[in-house]
Amino acid sequence: MRVEEFDAVIVGAGLSGLRAALELSSKWKVAVVSKVHPVRSHSGAAQGGINASLGNTDVGKEDSPEKHAYDTVYGSDYLADQDAVKFMCEEAPKIVVEFESMGAPFSRLESGLIAQRPFGGAGFPRTCYAGDRTGHALLHTLYEQCINKNVNFFDEFFLIDLIKVNDTITGIISLDMTSGELVVFRSGYVILATGGFGRTYTRSTNAIINTGDGVGAAFRVGVPMQDCEFVQFHPTTLYGTNILISEGARGEGGLLYNKDGERFMLQVAPKAKELAPRDIVARAIQTEVREGRGIEDAYVHLDLTHLGDERIRERLPGIREISIYFAGVDPIEEPIPVQPGQHYSMGGIATKYDGDFCESTLNGLYVVGETACISVHGANRLGGNSLLETAVFGRYIGRILLEKDLPTLPSIEDTEEAEKEGIAEIEDLFKKWENNTGKKPVDIRERMGDVLDKFVGVYRTEKELENAYKDLCELQEEFENVSISTTNRKFNFGVVRALELRNMLDIAEVTAYAALWRKESRGAHSRLDYPNRNDDEYLVHSLVYRTEEGLELKTKPVKLGIFEVKERVY
Amino acid sequence: MEEKQKFLIFRKGPNDAEARYERYEIPLRKGMTILEALFYIQDHYDSTLAFRYACRGAICGSCGLTIDKYPQLACRTQVSSIKTAKKPPKLPEFNFADFLEWDEQNEILIEPLPNMKVVADLVVDMEPFWEFYKEVQPYFIREWNDIAPESTQDSKDAKSIEHLIYCILCGLCWSCPVNASNDRYLGPTAIAKGYRFIADTRLSEKHREDIVDRVWKDDAVPSCEQFFVCNRVCPRGVRPGTAIKHVRDKWSKNE
Repeated sequence: MRVEEFDAVIVGAGLSGLRAALELSSKWKVAVVSKVHPVRSHSGAAQGGINASLGNTDVGKEDSPEKHAYDTVYGSDYLADQDAVKFMCEEAPKIVVEFESMGAPFSRLESGLIAQRPFGGAGFPRTCYAGDRTGHALLHTLYEQCINKNVNFFDEFFLIDLIKVNDTITGIISLDMTSGELVVFRSGYVILATGGFGRTYTRSTNAIINTGDGVGAAFRVGVPMQDCEFVQFHPTTLYGTNILISEGARGEGGLLYNKDGERFMLQVAPKAKELAPRDIVARAIQTEVREGRGIEDAYVHLDLTHLGDERIRERLPGIREISIYFAGVDPIEEPIPVQPGQHYSMGGIATKYDGDFCESTLNGLYVVGETACISVHGANRLGGNSLLETAVFGRYIGRILLEKDLPTLPSIEDTEEAEKEGIAEIEDLFKKWENNTGKKPVDIRERMGDVLDKFVGVYRTEKELENAYKDLCELQEEFENVSISTTNRKFNFGVVRALELRNMLDIAEVTAYAALWRKESRGAHSRLDYPNRNDDEYLVHSLVYRTEEGLELKTKPVKLGIFEVKERVY
Repeated sequence: MEEKQKFLIFRKGPNDAEARYERYEIPLRKGMTILEALFYIQDHYDSTLAFRYACRGAICGSCGLTIDKYPQLACRTQVSSIKTAKKPPKLPEFNFADFLEWDEQNEILIEPLPNMKVVADLVVDMEPFWEFYKEVQPYFIREWNDIAPESTQDSKDAKSIEHLIYCILCGLCWSCPVNASNDRYLGPTAIAKGYRFIADTRLSEKHREDIVDRVWKDDAVPSCEQFFVCNRVCPRGVRPGTAIKHVRDKWSKNE
C-alpha cells in the first residue's frame, strides 16, 4: 500500500484548489491531487468575469462592497448567509487587485484600469473581465504562480473515498490513473475543491469531468449535502451541445427574441430586461418554449447582430468562435439559438452553522468553491460571483488553517486500520463490478441525466419530482449490479467514469429529494404547484443525510441580520 | 435506416508491447463530434479505450488528437464534415505505425498527438511538454499585493498580447517537424508562452530579458526552422511561429 503523508491535501486544482494551495504551500507540505492536469480544470471555462466593486468605470463610481453584498443577497432570494456574503464582497476588490498583481491579463479601460462590464442582477458595471475568457486567464495565472512557488501536484489522481477515524478525517484514497495503484494521502487537513456536478444532468454547460467526486465522497462518510435543490439553469446555452453562451453577451447588449420576433423580456422584467438574473431569464425562455413561442419548439434567439462586427470581434470573440464551430452560426450575421441548461450548483457539501466559513461537520475536512455550500449564492447565484467565491475562500481557507496550525491526529494504529478497511472496500467494489452481470454504466448515466432534465428542471411539480425520485432510487438499485471490467487499472477511464457515476447518483437522488421537500418557489427552485416564496416555513437551508432507513432531511438556519428580507422583483 | 460511421483507432494498451489499429462502427447523431464518437465507443464497445478529455468546449486543451492525419481538438471536430473539411496546407506526414491499412474514403482515422510518447491508446506522455513549459518560467515574479488601485496597463498593450493569452496548452503545435527530429526542442508552446510575458508591458525590462535568455538557448528559438506548422494547426490563433519570429528578430538585433 502506497501512503503519502502531508500537512494538508487539496483535492481539485481549479481556482479554489490552486488559491488554497498557494497560501498553504508557503508554510506547509501540501499535495494538490487532481484527476486532470490543473489547467484542464473547469474554472477555465468561465467566460464573463469576476465581480468586485472597484468602481473603475464612470457609471460605477458609486459602487461599494455593501452594494455588491446587497445585490448578492437580494439575488439569492435571501437564502444566502449574509455574513459570508459580506465577507466575500469586502474581499472582492482585494482579490481582483491581487490577481492583477500575479499577472492576470485583464481587459483594460482607456484609463488603464481593469475593465468592468454590467452583469445580471448587479446595480453597477462590476464584473471585471479578460475578454470573454476570464476563467481561462485566471486559471492560467494561478497555475503560473503555483509553478513559481513550487506547489506539489499529483495530476491524474482520482479521489475515490475519504478516510476518517470517528469524527476526524485522516486522509483520502485515490486511484493513480497512470499506474493503476490505489494511493493513500494521509493528512489531518483535507480540502475538497472538486468543483460542480452538473453532469448529473444531460443538458449541462459543465465539463464532462464535473461529477461531484468530493460531494459523493463526503456524503458517504456522513457529511450532508446542503441546498442541492437549487440548481442554476443558465438561460443561454447553445442549442444542441449546451455549451455556455456567456451572460457577457447580454451584458454587451445582446437581445432575446421568440419565434414571433418579440422581445419577451420587456414583459417579464421591464426594468432589468435581458439583464435580469439568470433564474428569471431561464424561466422566461422556458415559458416561451412551453407556450409554443419557441423556435422548433426548443429554443429562442440571442441576437447580437446589431452590436456590429467590430464589437463582437473585440468583446465576444470566444462566443463567436463557439457559435461558429458548434452550431454553424456566425453571430455577426445571424442570431444564436439558445435554450436554458444546467449551469451551476448552488448547493454542495454542507458547512457547519457555528464553524468557520468552509468548515464541514467532519473535523479537519474543509470545502471550497462550487463543491461547497458556504452559502454565498443562496437560491440563485449572480453571474461573476462564482470566480470570486473560488479565490476569496481559497485564500481564506489557507489563511485560517495556517493560523489554526496543524491538528492532533488520531493514533497511527487507528489511522492505518481505517486506511486498510477503506482500501479493502474499494477492492471489493472493483471485484463486484467485474463479476456483475447488470447494465453498463452508460445506460444508468444517460437515464439519470434524462430524469433530471425532464423532471427536476427549470419548472418543477410534486408529481414529476416524485417520479424522478422513484426513478433515481431504481437507478441506484441497478447500479448495485453495474457491470464493468476493472482488471486493467492503468488509464482505465471506463472505471473512472463508473466511480464518477457512483458519486452522481447520490447527488441526483438528493437533488430530487430536497426539491420534493421544498414546497415553495425561491430563486432557481421554481415549483408550479407552490408558486410563492414561503419564508415562514422555508427560509432555511436543507441538509440531506443518508441513514439506514434512507435519506433524511434536516434544516439549518440562514444567517440573516444585515439586510432586511423583502420581496424580490426586477 | 440509421446512418453509421466507421472509425479506425490506434490502440496500444499500457501493458501492450505492440500497437494495433481497431475498427469500430457507430450510429451517427446530428452534430456529433469526434469526442462524442470516442465516448460512444468507450461506453458501448470497449470501456478501456483511453483518451483525455475535460470541457468538450475547446477551452481546456485536453483532447488534442491526430484525426485523419491532421492534429485537431476532438471536441471541436464534427464527424459529419471531417471528410469534406479543408485541411491546412503543407502538414508534415505523421506515421504512428508502418502497418496501417486505412480506407481513407470511409474510415475516420484516430491517432494520438504526434511527437509524444504513447502511454495508453490515445493518451500521450505530456511530461516533457510540461517540463519545457516550466523551463521558460512563464510567470510574473513581482510581489503580490491586494491594495487598490491595481497597476495600470494601456488597453492597446493589453490587447496586443490577447491572442497569446488564448493558448490552451493543448500541444497540437508539437506536430512541428523540429519536435519530430529533436526531443530537446522546447517546442512552439513554451516559446510562445515565453513571448506572452516578454511582450507584456507590465514586466520589468530585466525580467523580460531573463525570459528572452531562457528561450534563446540552442534547443529553442535558434532551432526553429520557420515551417509555421504550429501557426496552421493552432486551434486558438495563438500563432506561436510568429511569436518565435518576433523573439528571433529581437535576438538578431542584439547580436
